[in-house]
Amino acid sequence: MIFNTPIFYLFFVLFVLFYGVLLLRQRPRVYLIVVASLIFYGTWNYRFIPLLVFSGVADYFIAQAIGRAASQRGRKGWVTLSVAINLGILGLFKYADFVLLSVADFLQLFGVTADLPTLGWVLPVGISFYTFQSLSYTIDVYRGEMEPRKGLVEFVAALSFFPQLVAGPILRAKQILPQMHELPVPTWKDVKHGLLLVTAGILKKTVADLLAIPAARAFDSVEPISLMETWTGVLAFAGQIYGDFAGYTDMAIGLALMLGFKIPPNFRVPYFAVSPVDFWRRWHISLSTWLRDYLYISLGGNRNNRRFRNVMITMLLGGLWHGAAWTFVAWGAFHGMLITASHALGRVKAFAMFHQPASRWVTVVKWAATFYLVMLGWVLFRATSLSSGLSMLADMHGLGGALPGPIATAPTILLLTVAIIALLHWMDYGVIRGADKLESKPWLFWLLILLGQTLCLMVGEPSNEFIYFQF
Amino acid sequence: MSSSTSSSRAIFARVLLVITLGMAACYGIVRIFADLNDASAETILGRVMEARAALPRILAEERDLVMFFGSSMTRAGFSARLFDRQLEQSGIEVKSFNFGVGGLNPYFQDFFSRRIHEAFDERDRRLKLALIEFVPFQLTSARWRGAQPAVDSFLAMLASPREMFAMVPEDPTRGLQILNIHYLRNDVSAEITTWYFGQGLETPPPTSDLPEEDEDRQQRLQEIGDQLNEKFEEEYPDYVPSNFNYDWQGAGTIPDERSPETLELFTEFYELQRTPRRLENDKLQRTACCDIVELHFEEILVESFIRIVLEFQKFSDHVEVVLLPRNTEWIQYPPEAVARMQAVLDRIRRETGVEIRDYQDVGFGPEHFSDTTHLSRYGGDVPFTAFLAEEYEPVLAGLVAAGD
Repeated sequence: MIFNTPIFYLFFVLFVLFYGVLLLRQRPRVYLIVVASLIFYGTWNYRFIPLLVFSGVADYFIAQAIGRAASQRGRKGWVTLSVAINLGILGLFKYADFVLLSVADFLQLFGVTADLPTLGWVLPVGISFYTFQSLSYTIDVYRGEMEPRKGLVEFVAALSFFPQLVAGPILRAKQILPQMHELPVPTWKDVKHGLLLVTAGILKKTVADLLAIPAARAFDSVEPISLMETWTGVLAFAGQIYGDFAGYTDMAIGLALMLGFKIPPNFRVPYFAVSPVDFWRRWHISLSTWLRDYLYISLGGNRNNRRFRNVMITMLLGGLWHGAAWTFVAWGAFHGMLITASHALGRVKAFAMFHQPASRWVTVVKWAATFYLVMLGWVLFRATSLSSGLSMLADMHGLGGALPGPIATAPTILLLTVAIIALLHWMDYGVIRGADKLESKPWLFWLLILLGQTLCLMVGEPSNEFIYFQF
Repeated sequence: MSSSTSSSRAIFARVLLVITLGMAACYGIVRIFADLNDASAETILGRVMEARAALPRILAEERDLVMFFGSSMTRAGFSARLFDRQLEQSGIEVKSFNFGVGGLNPYFQDFFSRRIHEAFDERDRRLKLALIEFVPFQLTSARWRGAQPAVDSFLAMLASPREMFAMVPEDPTRGLQILNIHYLRNDVSAEITTWYFGQGLETPPPTSDLPEEDEDRQQRLQEIGDQLNEKFEEEYPDYVPSNFNYDWQGAGTIPDERSPETLELFTEFYELQRTPRRLENDKLQRTACCDIVELHFEEILVESFIRIVLEFQKFSDHVEVVLLPRNTEWIQYPPEAVARMQAVLDRIRRETGVEIRDYQDVGFGPEHFSDTTHLSRYGGDVPFTAFLAEEYEPVLAGLVAAGD
């Protein structure tokens, strides 16, 4: 069930009717959230509902056990069990085949043909999101950052809460559990802001689907294409993945807000970043902060001169989180190197000016360099294989041999792609900075909502799935 | 009820009101936009809709009915009236119809065939003979990919309400999407709108390297085109213009209804049109859109074709599959493509028991075609229709005799 489809609209209308109008007491409403969320999840593949419930139930009881454990050793044992269960589920469904095939490929290098059996299991949608969300709860309890909470149904409701279930943002237990314990009532301002976010999200998703076409031409084409179309394709993918993912999370946050739930933002105009570190403060914030808090810090963070090693491990695993393929590992490694390099360059005197409060031109140079590097990263992310990614990087820089001339429409498509990416950011910036002002002018606000929603009904590819569902 | 409970209910009631009224307003604008652009089933699938609308009149015919169901190649290559006339000379009285429609593929034709079947069942009638055209390049993966923007819209136009509702339990997301397109969007999906407005940005197919044609030729073609239109109006003053006008099926395809001057104009027109550059461009375009030479078949389209045959078998005394003549000078299959096509034909034969007549190589040369695939008016359709009448005379004689 995708947000921008008639079935979700019907689902949401019925949910609001029951949740807000017909049911008035706390407990039935929480039960409704669970049932509705499981129905929502089941529309993809109902066979995976038990897996989601199991993950939640296991972590709920493990957190209780951690809370009760008398010794540190006992606490550690329980949290280790939680990590093993969640990463075990993830490993089995997401990474087992990748590991087996990689081992077979590795052995092939030594002339050994290993016909290893693969599982061939379907990847449960949203598995990477809910396992991380569930895991954060037990780790927080283990670290003493929160008390284990009573109420299994509330916990399952928080974990499966449909707006953010399949593609995040990855919520922390301390953000969502208190809200599930005392269900919030939205203010009219919340409702309006939620609608604005939903509209902005659908618009982003709509333009992302349009950008998928030039991106596919560059990444999936068998025939060689021109330099201009190659760059356009990479730019288009940069816009597509941003519009697709940020659009989804905007809708998730907006829908939750219309129900009164506050979910923190997941994107902050990411292509305005002026350094690789800055990029990760703006892109998929809930994942980057999760990795920082639960992986990077667990590895020792900046201490013991192991910062570079820890950054690399964190980014490699962050890359792998996105998918079981070497392209994602390479993408994570690339970003790890960028972050490491920017930290290292910070110590070099010649680059000191880039670390001071800078002039506008220095900021522009930093922005351009960051955007260029992020684009190179997207090539690895989107490529169908590592070799095709590297060959595309070579083509982009004129190192891959002669390319044909551009097709007649190439300049127009390039301009449109740039314009759409700018529009996406303008929209993001407008929602972040100008929402209050806009919401204070009812006629303009409702007109924009109406036009935005109508435009998305009129054009686009509403049946296209969201890219991040596969992660 | 506490005040907080009632205020909570009031805010959620407001949410409901906003999202339902808002959506109604949005759909209203979408409908107005579609109407302003004249976008509807009638304008997008005009010939199909008119053919469906004509079915009651067709079914009121007293004579035995013959239908040639196919693509634009059938539309161009088969003259219904000429076919009937030739059979009449052999004492066989049938009324045949050209159900050739361009722009469809077997997936859509499958739904169209079901609607025809329903109409026949309603009147308790059967077809004496159904000929179903098999167009190899209509069943390719390339063709299926190209059709994607139209799938939902065409489905909303061609599926019956029962079929659309039946989709809901099988795939609720898709089922509701199709119902939504049919009932709220006037059959016009967002995908088809996007495709329509984005056509200009599509990657153009490769073009021929042969030299451009001179302007005189272009101008002459334009002049002949205008003259032919005028001649048609003169020679068929009572003709009712319609995409699918069954009374007139074959209008303009019977040489003795035309003046010698008109026939000469046609000859000149096709001679001017069949330049190597135009034909190569046509082939390149069909290679890009439909994989016309290599023929990599798409499973869903093969399955659909089989369903079409099975559907016609339910309301026809006799069904056969026909492959129309191929412009062998331009369309030559490599052995792998022949093998792939043969495998598909064998499968159709096996799963339906239908007889397949392959007329791809029955002596029609490039001079019989208007481009790389369509038979030309008079030069191609007349000899092919005569050939078909000859081929099917014994079949129909047997069927008619059996019916008596």
